[in-house]
Amino acid sequence: MVSELCLSEALLSAAKEVFETMIFMELAESSDAEQKIEGDALLGLITFLGTYPPPPDGVCTNDGVKTGNENNIEGVMTICSGMPCAKAIAANMLGIDGGENLSETEICDAIGEVTNMVMGSVKSRIQGSISNIAVSIPTVTTGYELHYSPCEGASKVLIKVNIDDKYITELSLSYRQRVHNNK
Amino acid sequence: MAKSLMIVDDSATMRKIIMRTVRMSGLEFDQPQEAGNGKEAIEKLKTVSVDIILCDLNMPEMGGLEMVKKVREMPACNNIKIVMVSTESSQELIDGVIAGGANGFITKPFTPERFLEKLSPFMN
Repeated sequence: MVSELCLSEALLSAAKEVFETMIFMELAESSDAEQKIEGDALLGLITFLGTYPPPPDGVCTNDGVKTGNENNIEGVMTICSGMPCAKAIAANMLGIDGGENLSETEICDAIGEVTNMVMGSVKSRIQGSISNIAVSIPTVTTGYELHYSPCEGASKVLIKVNIDDKYITELSLSYRQRVHNNK
Repeated sequence: MAKSLMIVDDSATMRKIIMRTVRMSGLEFDQPQEAGNGKEAIEKLKTVSVDIILCDLNMPEMGGLEMVKKVREMPACNNIKIVMVSTESSQELIDGVIAGGANGFITKPFTPERFLEKLSPFMN
């Protein structure tokens, strides 16, 4: 399977690209593994399917040439931030001072877009290892001290990052081989 | 005379972000229009004149590809420049979108400089 280091690097660099380009916030991996997101939080989640290993050169599953591995990988990417961080992200994306006047819809929308863009960037980085990646529409959940746990048999990469040296956010990428390969 | 712009995306937040980024690029447009999907955009195009459309790919009711096809079937809209804005980055897909009638493609995440680069040729 794809190495955890490869996925970890792809996830971190994808998130850095999105945060620094679109949100104008600095993102750096946190050295404190014990840091937790406390209180009200938002969890952006997006699922994906892919093929591992990629088909040999010259063989394209889209042409109906089957290798037997099509969509044999399923996975989930999540971004979890506390509410103050989510408000700051939304405010920065929209170019508004502070986030207190933003509606919950706008904040959720912004986190959904961030999740979508990070997954898009991850996809472009790992498509040499996992091909034919199809991505879902992101969903955003709000709640208290949210936490995502992958299902049984899934490998998981979890990265805690500091945003602008002020907020903690958790990025995760989990995947597993599909038990039943529906055709 | 200032060009007119329409932004088509099912996310109201993303429409605001795109508009903000376009303004940051220094490009100026006259009375920007917005639509939440391709179908809404087509309806608006029947009554408003637009020079450039920035359009998402994946939208409910009518996605970007179908909207491009419909716009190219409207004689009054033949000169509209359509630039897709999406998280998709595969060259195969981008080539397909251009072959389908779009004039350009901007991948998210985007910068003001990227908008300037892609839209400047259409401003004269």
